[in-house]
Amino acid sequence: MTAILPNNQAGVSRALDLLSAENTRLVSIFGSTDDNHVRYVHYLIEVDGREYRMLSSPVTGPIPSATPIVPAAAWYERELHDQYGIECEGHPDPRPLLFHENWPENVHPMIDDASHVPWAKGQYHFLRVHGDGVCEVPVGPIHAGIIEPGHFRFSVVGDTVLHLELRHFYTHKGTEKLFENSAVMDGVMIAESVSGDNCFSHAVAYCQAIENVFAIPVPPRAQAIRLVGLELERMLAHIADVGALCGDVGFMVPAAYTARIKETLLQASARFFGTRFWRGISVPGGVTRDLSGAEAGEFGRIVTTAARDFAQMARLILHTSSVQNRFESTGILTAEIAKQLAVVGPAARASGIRLDVRRDHPSGRYRDVQVDVPQYKHGDVLARARIRIDETAISTQLINETLKELPAGSVLVPVPLSGSADALSAVESPRGELLYWVRIRDGKITRCHIKSPSFQNWPALPLAMPGNIIADFPLINKSFNLSYSGCDR
Amino acid sequence: MIGDAVERSLRSPQVLISVDELFSNAAGSRMPDVRPDLLTDEVARRVVAACPTSALKIDEDAGRTHLILNYGECTGCGRCIAAGGGTFRYAEKVTRCGVSKQALIRSWDIQGRAEVVQDEPALSQAAEQIRALVGRALNIRQVDAGSCNGCEAEIVALTNPYYDLERFGIHFVASPKHADMLLVTGPVTRNMAAALKNAYDAVPSPKLVVAVGACGCSGGIFGRSHAVVGPVDAVIPVDGYIPGCPPTPRMLLTGIVQVLRPFSLRW
Ligand code: SF4
Ligand code: SF4
Repeated sequence: MTAILPNNQAGVSRALDLLSAENTRLVSIFGSTDDNHVRYVHYLIEVDGREYRMLSSPVTGPIPSATPIVPAAAWYERELHDQYGIECEGHPDPRPLLFHENWPENVHPMIDDASHVPWAKGQYHFLRVHGDGVCEVPVGPIHAGIIEPGHFRFSVVGDTVLHLELRHFYTHKGTEKLFENSAVMDGVMIAESVSGDNCFSHAVAYCQAIENVFAIPVPPRAQAIRLVGLELERMLAHIADVGALCGDVGFMVPAAYTARIKETLLQASARFFGTRFWRGISVPGGVTRDLSGAEAGEFGRIVTTAARDFAQMARLILHTSSVQNRFESTGILTAEIAKQLAVVGPAARASGIRLDVRRDHPSGRYRDVQVDVPQYKHGDVLARARIRIDETAISTQLINETLKELPAGSVLVPVPLSGSADALSAVESPRGELLYWVRIRDGKITRCHIKSPSFQNWPALPLAMPGNIIADFPLINKSFNLSYSGCDR
Repeated sequence: MIGDAVERSLRSPQVLISVDELFSNAAGSRMPDVRPDLLTDEVARRVVAACPTSALKIDEDAGRTHLILNYGECTGCGRCIAAGGGTFRYAEKVTRCGVSKQALIRSWDIQGRAEVVQDEPALSQAAEQIRALVGRALNIRQVDAGSCNGCEAEIVALTNPYYDLERFGIHFVASPKHADMLLVTGPVTRNMAAALKNAYDAVPSPKLVVAVGACGCSGGIFGRSHAVVGPVDAVIPVDGYIPGCPPTPRMLLTGIVQVLRPFSLRW
């Protein structure tokens, strides 16, 4: 699956050739260094919707940019430059991405000593839209609600948005670097703190990557409990999102009601798993909590009740004409743009692109279950809301089927503390394809790359904005519901 | 259809958690607690070795050995509970919320098998106190200075029908200019330091700052990162600390009330 290509230019051009083919999708581009401090670039590409293929090449000088061929590469290549100082020639927008004006341009933390980086005073240039009556509206980094920070620069004429530029990475925490030299058992704590509301997906993706490195046979019972956690996390996210969409159009009753449904699931998690968001449950080798038969039954009943309440509320929401009026044809992401930007998750499925790691690259318990993947084609707020409503029902069903037939046996096996290998693992997080690539040397992590669905999808949001009114931005933004921290890492 | 939604909601049973119950349990907080009667030297060394953060330490002082637990650094990973036999368990109550940085730290005399007692914040007659303290109007501006969003998820939960923060007259407001209190999460990243400072300056005096979560209290697991400045108090002055990763809504509410306590006379 992994090919190391002989030299710089030839290696990179083979990756670019593959990326130009119709049957491929860019998954990620990232860097690494080997034991001799030689830098590598890795292209992770999905072929035929079923196979992850990685092309890696040593880097000695500038490499040709993939962005002119695949716009989805734009942020990855900017990150590659910020982290590793690798120039991508021909990149249409080589501005720094992770680091703001306070960061000196010549410090690349993955290859340089970054322990005492001086404060710099650089300048950042936003794209300017010129013309009669064009105004700029800057928003953020701190927003009006209880939301993560990020900056949005709107160019508007009257209420209508002509252009939106994102500036993110306010919550950039150098997380990938933090993994380096951590013990494999400690890495899971860092993974859980990449995007707190999807902490379980991150934990499972990380653990599976480690388990792939050491070829650890994870007990079937642990895999089943992981499935329950992953689907529950999806339910929590989707239920909250649908509620928040109602809140954004001033329909407060369902907003409060869905918040209440979500809380019942969090409390059930606290009761049966000792944690509201499933932190500390997944560890390399399995899970730390087990359920008795009676507990599994009770947990399943709570999930079913929550899902039933939500389904009834969702029906009411979708039949309310003022909601339809605000959701329909708002914030359209076309299938073509979604494909060019390699969008994943609910946003892709709402724009007619049927991708789902659970079906396309199943791991763990997902190998044994059938996952329905809903799809809508309009790419508007309504389509994204419908995807979330449909998927909540599918997740409920998966949880119940799994809880009914929990395999017998233990939930945790020991993990060897030494060994060296590279491995990757993907899960379908509530926001889409989430992938961890880890390199282990003598039981320590020497590199961990996180492909986060939010990093992939954020660049698509501005392309769903032009022609919409600025007052619909919160609604459109919410319908994508991307993680800032998950993107910024 | 709007009518149906409203009706359905009105027909559903009341779920509001009573005030006394709010302050009395720490379900799902994952914060550890110690049974001093079982504490031995051997257990203490085992849990300190197991702790992946520096929350647990052994301190030797004048022939006595103390086990130190700093909630401000604890991520609730549960390893001390797994390693400590029955000596460590999940806390039933976490009262050290909204306290000073010093009060986040507990210590036990291992030979004496007893906690070195500090003033335990008492939370009796909570309902009256909140009313007296807040005067039915406390405006909070929440600032995410770099968090993973786990803390935000729990702060948002404070507004759901179980906790309903608004019943106490506590509101989240959109502008720091309308705020009495900043509720700050996250390790402060380099990229957020200036914005946090600006938000603080924009809050009219007198103002209160509460640092939230292991990251806000101590920098947490991100403290050593090149992209992070440090805990909240590395950038602005902090009046109270709420530990947890993330703190539960109950811990958050306890902390917010606790921070107000010294001001009750002036109000
Ligand atoms: S739960 Fe807290 S104190 Fe215990 S091992 Fe984990 S970080 Fe350390
Ligand atoms: S304390 Fe925990 S939940 Fe809160 S921001 Fe830090 S890592 Fe996330």
